[in-house]
This record gives sequence, C-alpha cells and structure tokens, in this order.
Amino acid sequence: MNRPETILKAQDIHKSYGTLEVLKGISLEARKHDVISILGSSGSGKSTFLRCLNFLETPTSGKVTVHGEEVLVKNGKPQNARHIAEIRSRLGMVFQQFNLWTHRTVLENVMEGPIQVKRQTKAEARDKSEALLARVGLEDRMDMYPSQLSGGQQQRVAIARALAMEPDAILFDEPTSALDPELVGEVLKVMKSLAAEGRTMIVVTHEMGFAREVSSEVVFLHNGRIAEQGPPEEMFTNPKTEVFERFIAKVM
Amino acid sequence: MFELFAYGDTGWGDEILRGLAITIQLAIVTLPVGLFLGFLVAFASMSKLRALRMVGFGYTTIMRGLPEILTLFVVYNGVGLLLNMAVRWWNPEADAIDFSPFAAGVVALGMVFGAFAAEVLRGAFNSLDTGQSEAGRAIGMTPTQVFRRIQLPQMWRFALPGLGNLWINMLKDTALVSIIALNDLMRMTKVAVGVTKQPFTFYLVACLIYWAMCVLSELVLARMERRANRGIRRV
Ligand SMILES: Nc1ncnc2c1ncn2[C@@H]1O[C@H](COP(=O)(O)OP(=O)(O)OP(=O)(O)O)[C@@H](O)[C@H]1O
Ligand SMILES: [Mg+2]
Repeated sequence: MNRPETILKAQDIHKSYGTLEVLKGISLEARKHDVISILGSSGSGKSTFLRCLNFLETPTSGKVTVHGEEVLVKNGKPQNARHIAEIRSRLGMVFQQFNLWTHRTVLENVMEGPIQVKRQTKAEARDKSEALLARVGLEDRMDMYPSQLSGGQQQRVAIARALAMEPDAILFDEPTSALDPELVGEVLKVMKSLAAEGRTMIVVTHEMGFAREVSSEVVFLHNGRIAEQGPPEEMFTNPKTEVFERFIAKVM
Repeated sequence: MFELFAYGDTGWGDEILRGLAITIQLAIVTLPVGLFLGFLVAFASMSKLRALRMVGFGYTTIMRGLPEILTLFVVYNGVGLLLNMAVRWWNPEADAIDFSPFAAGVVALGMVFGAFAAEVLRGAFNSLDTGQSEAGRAIGMTPTQVFRRIQLPQMWRFALPGLGNLWINMLKDTALVSIIALNDLMRMTKVAVGVTKQPFTFYLVACLIYWAMCVLSELVLARMERRANRGIRRV
C-alpha cells in the first residue's frame, strides 16, 4: 500500500537564544492524516519547535518544507523567505491563549483570513465561516465579541478560524492548557472530530489521554532533542528511555 | 446687550462667527498634520536604526521643552525666511512669497501636537498584545496587513484618551495664533473689546464658545472611545 503524501517536513531544526540552545537538531515528518502529539516537560522546547514550523520563530538553522514550498535557514537567515507566507497560509495554528482578535466579532475573526489572505469574496467567506462555526457548535455566538465567550468557546472559534484557511495541517500549542478543567472536554471533542476526518495535526499537549487515544505518533522532546518517538500504545506501555518513563510516571 | 452681537455692520456677531470658523478650520487642518507627524516620529523612535531613534527622541524632547508660543514665533518668522531663501536660490527673480499666519499656525501647532502624539502612539503600540499580531502572521498576513487590520485598530483603544486630550489642548492653543495676526476667534474678540470697551462681555462670550467646543469634543470623544472599546470586557 502506498504511504500517504508528506505534508510537512522539518529537517535538523536548531534554535538558540543567545548562548542558550533550545532546539538541538529536530527532524519531523508529517504525512497526510497524521496526528502527531509532541510531549515534553516544561522548557523542553515544544512551543519553540512548533513556532519554528511556521516561522513565528526563525530557526537558527534547518529546513522546513510544506507542500513542496521549502525554506532553508542558515545562520538565522531564511534563504527563500518569500515562501514563508505561503507556508503560513497552508498551516493553521491554534494558540494556548486563543489569540482571537478582540476588536472583531466571532464571525469576523473567522472570515478575516479567507478575505484578506485568500482574497475570497465576502459572501463566499461568510457562508463558509458560518458553516465552520456551526460545526464547532457556535452558530448562535457569531455576532458576539471574543470577550463575551468562555475560554472553551473561544478556543473553538480559534479552531474554526484555522479551518477557514483550508490548511494542509494544523499546529496546536497546548490548546487546552489555559482552560478551566470543565471546558477542556468540548475542545478535545472538536479536535478528535478533526482527527477522525483525517486532518493532519501536530499537537503540543499535556493531555495524555488525547496523545494516547487520538494520535498516530508521539514525539517526546527532552532538552531540545527528540528523546523518543513512536506509536502511542507502544511508547506508553513500553517506554524505551528512562526520561520518558519518568515523564509518564509523573504525569499519569 | 444683544445689539452688540447683532449680525451685520452694527454688531460683532458676524465677526466673531467668522473668527470661530477660522479657529475651527485651523484646528481641523492641524489634526491630520499633527497625527501624521506623530506616527512618523513614533515609528522613528521605535526603529531598529539607532540614527532614526535618535531623531525621533530628539524631536519629542526638543518640542516638549519649548513653550508653544515660541515654537509659533520661530515657525512664523524662521520658516518664512527659509522658504524665501529657498525660493530665491531656485529663482533669484521670484517674488517674495507670503508664509501666511494660518499656515504658520498649522505647522507650529502640528509640530507640537505631533511631538506629544508620538509619545501617546508609542505607548499605545507598546501596550499591544503580541499574540494578536502573531495570530495574523500565522494565517499568512503580510506585515502591512497585520499593521492595518490588527495593530492600528487596537492602538486606537489605548491612544484615543491621550489623543483626545491633545486635541482639546490644541483647540485652545489655536488662540495663540491670534498673536501673529490670524483673525481667529481670540483676535476678533480682542478687536471687539478694543472698539466697544466692553471686555467682560466679550471675553465671557469667548470663554463660553471655547468651552462649548471642548464639551462638544468630549462628547464626540466619549462616543469614539465606546466604539473603539467594543469587545473589551469591562472590569
Ligand atoms: N524569546 C525567548 N528568549 C529567550 N529564551 C526563550 C525565548 N522563548 C523561549 N525561551 C526559552 O526556551 C526554552 C524552551 O521554551 P519553550 O517555550 O519552547 O518550552 P515548552 O516546552 O513549550 O514549555 P512549556 O510546556 O512550559 O510551554 C525555555 O528555556 C525558555 O525559557
Ligand atoms: Mg509551550
């Protein structure tokens, strides 16, 4: 059987802040329909790595390829920087703090990307955005401002905003960490439905249940390196490294 | 006393209204000039280039240290002189051009407004939540789009109260321009006082007019602030 096509490929990503080397050469490949969970203790470099994938953070060196658009970075300088915008519009991102635009309504938040970046007509963007908001269960909140919504609802809007760009893959940076415990479930449910329909997702998370049940692959970062990587069941039942074993003992 | 303010040759109503019109024109023309300058100076002082930062900070420091009236004199006399020197260097036959009191007022008040507005705008820019523009960059917006669609509208929120104060100050500072013989509300009032020898009446009326303009401005500003703060949870 043919393996699905590669959507995103990161090769030997390094990132330093001054003399502090946060990422020490990380490579990762996401094929279509992959759901990759990135685990690791605080400060291990998970967010930094994720943000290097869409160049919110410029790696010190390495190469990112999305859908054939390739950006190589040497000495902190992207060699073909004009592909960055293209890569960004192909990767959705969902932030820990939601980052919905506070001066726009829920519907406007979702329509913004299609109109401004994809140059769709207002009518087209509106139809699609309304459908997406209905999909995340917020059809009755469209004209509200983000501040009038609960954290869980805001994060679902943020997911709809990412989906509106019809991305090839979606990056999640601890999407449930800022939520009250009773609101985590509604966001995870949406994420599970995305996984079920075959979306390609890369998820930094502390939700071990999600990592174990939903993801197709788990990557464990430790001190800026991938310490262990593999199918979740295998990794959780039979950790190969002592650091990962200690990590699961601590979080489970 | 109403005949004093009659409209026409017998009273001062028309003169004062014409003065008021000039005052309002001066303030309204100065506002965009000052705002534009304010943005320019704010961005200069936040630039990556050291030289530009120095220019930005130098400008605000100098302008804030000068009395407005001195700025006005320097602009009125100095800029007119420079302008004529430049014109004559270009074409020695040219007639001397007049740097009108109105233009001098716009330039001087605009320079003052710009210096203070730069500080307000810089503060507003620094109060922005970086996550908001990251969300824009993450969906592929260009830096210009991020600025226009996200940063600028969110800056208003923080800048509007400060800019509102500057506007009201500037509205009152227009009175200074009467000193260089612009026929604004203040000067027309003084002329009326000189002729009628009724200082109390005319100064009181001028006070009421300036005060009414400020109250009106504050009402409009309050509305604008409400609009700019849509979507913000009030605590
Ligand atoms: N802008 C920055 N300047 C300097 N150091 C930074 C910067 N951003 C991150 N770091 C450092 O890089 C390291 C990795 O940070 P990162 O945010 O990627 O960790 P993380 O794995 O996402 O942690 P958490 O689970 O707490 O979110 C940390 O030591 C952090 O202090
Ligand atoms: Mg993080």
